[in-house]
Amino acid sequence: MSDEPSNASGESRGTAGDGERRRPAGSVWHPAEHASIDEAPEPRAAPPAAQFSRQSLSRRELLKSGARGVSLLGFGAAAGFLSGRENKADMRWQIDPNQCIQCGRCATECVLEVSAVKCVHSFGMCGYCKLCTGYFEPEPINLDEGAENQLCPTGAIKREYIEDPYYEYSINRELCVGCGKCVKGCNMFGNGSLYLQVCHDRCINCNICSIATACPAQAFHRVPVAKPYLLRGKGAPGK
Amino acid sequence: MSEESPNKPDPAPTAGRRSFLLGAAWGGGIAGLGGLTGLAASRLARRTPAAASRKPVLGDEFTYDVARFQKSDPALLRYDELARFGSGLERARALAVAPDAAIFVGGTGGIRKFSANGEPALSIPLDKPVYSIALRPNGEILVGQLGQISVLDPSGAELAVWSGLPDNLLPTSIAFAGEQVFIADAGNRVVLKLDAAGKKLGVIGARDPERNLKGFVVPSPYFCVRMAPDGLLRIANPGEHQIEAFTLDGDLELAWGKGSFAVEGFCGCCNPVSFDIFPDGSFVTCEKGLPRVKLYNSAGEFTGLVAGPDAFPEYLQAANAGTTDVLGSGVYAAIDRQARVIILDSVSGVIRIMQRKQQSP
Repeated sequence: MSDEPSNASGESRGTAGDGERRRPAGSVWHPAEHASIDEAPEPRAAPPAAQFSRQSLSRRELLKSGARGVSLLGFGAAAGFLSGRENKADMRWQIDPNQCIQCGRCATECVLEVSAVKCVHSFGMCGYCKLCTGYFEPEPINLDEGAENQLCPTGAIKREYIEDPYYEYSINRELCVGCGKCVKGCNMFGNGSLYLQVCHDRCINCNICSIATACPAQAFHRVPVAKPYLLRGKGAPGK
Repeated sequence: MSEESPNKPDPAPTAGRRSFLLGAAWGGGIAGLGGLTGLAASRLARRTPAAASRKPVLGDEFTYDVARFQKSDPALLRYDELARFGSGLERARALAVAPDAAIFVGGTGGIRKFSANGEPALSIPLDKPVYSIALRPNGEILVGQLGQISVLDPSGAELAVWSGLPDNLLPTSIAFAGEQVFIADAGNRVVLKLDAAGKKLGVIGARDPERNLKGFVVPSPYFCVRMAPDGLLRIANPGEHQIEAFTLDGDLELAWGKGSFAVEGFCGCCNPVSFDIFPDGSFVTCEKGLPRVKLYNSAGEFTGLVAGPDAFPEYLQAANAGTTDVLGSGVYAAIDRQARVIILDSVSGVIRIMQRKQQSP
């Protein structure tokens, strides 16, 4: 603190006419040239901000200021971190089916061994098609329930004959891994009655959902626990 | 340290106003910085995958892949693109060509009229989304909207709204046979037969085992009717992947078409979504999912492509990204008096004018 670097600008930092000496342009700046306001016999009006003099700083003052700064920093960090969190008890994670792009990450990113995300089916929207593009491979050998014709790698969709030419499709949630392959087929060619949802009988409601962090479409949202699903069809909001 | 009193000890650190203000400013700044750091840490923590690389990547069997069907064989292309222009409408899903070759497009927001070369000619704003348009020889415009059919004069002024039509009416296509009007009603999966004033005369295609009619299978709001030169109605049965021929009294005469992702068939669960008929009785058909505009002769045999899937890059991009929706993923075609094929792609809202190749078989 004893030797300060020279004032590169060469401008005077003092204020003329208030007891401080005007320093010649180009001279070396020294703290002792500037009387601390602590030493001043009478309080003086604070100079303009741009004209503050540098103050001498004792070790004790430095330590106190440092401790104060560190504690404030810690307090601010804690406040900032807490402000970024939400109330876990009132909210649940859910997928907006209109934002979902069926990328497959729901199957791989969940902390559970088998994902809490499952395909669900809006029967009111379904066309009950004989050739369901959510059930059949794009070019099936036959339109029957043979494994070679099925799209779902885990065989999680059940096809039942209703009446000619209609068939009903339902999801076996125990087998579904939430990959969204059937959803993509239904969405691309059909009317989107198959879609993915976080099933809350399985979801452990992590503070930071690992699927949500990985979702490239930002389709995961916190929803109120009173309405924990974002449904399509007649169950959808406003219908 | 000081020039005047080098051995004088430092004065007691009593806090003056200036040092207090300085300290407060520093403290506030540090606290703010800390807050920002904490907030950033919170956000970063949320973005950091907690279970990253915990599980293996999904295998190919979990990927829905139709890329091999999204390329078309150039040898099958019978048409060249002459021009393209934007419809300026959201979810454009109705297309009609007037006898003077003017192009009418409808969608959310109303109707736009373009010249035969795509110059904007008229805009008719409408509150309810438009699902179908048909043009009478006198220039009147029939507009199909959810629950109603409106009749507009050539300037777009409303002349009438037909009432007494069925509940759940979703008029996705309109055709004429003389004075009679036929409405493809996707909401009720039948074709309505109306007189010139909109009075209901009958229903075509309702399930009736005694007439060997199984009913139309219409899983999504795409259902098309056209009048053919042979005097029979042609009605798409998209869930059966067929085009069916009916008499004006509703008797089923014949049907053709099969479901297949191969170019000869109709892909997906419900295609064709629309079609039109040339004066020689041959067809141009449109499919969604795999956007394909194809040609069939009057017997229903595939003869070539007007445009293959790769002619619709915006559509494919949206379909592959999973961002298409059922109401806005149609492809429509209409034939003008020069035998050009006008194509409307709902995803991009672009209209393409296609002209037959000179050397086309």
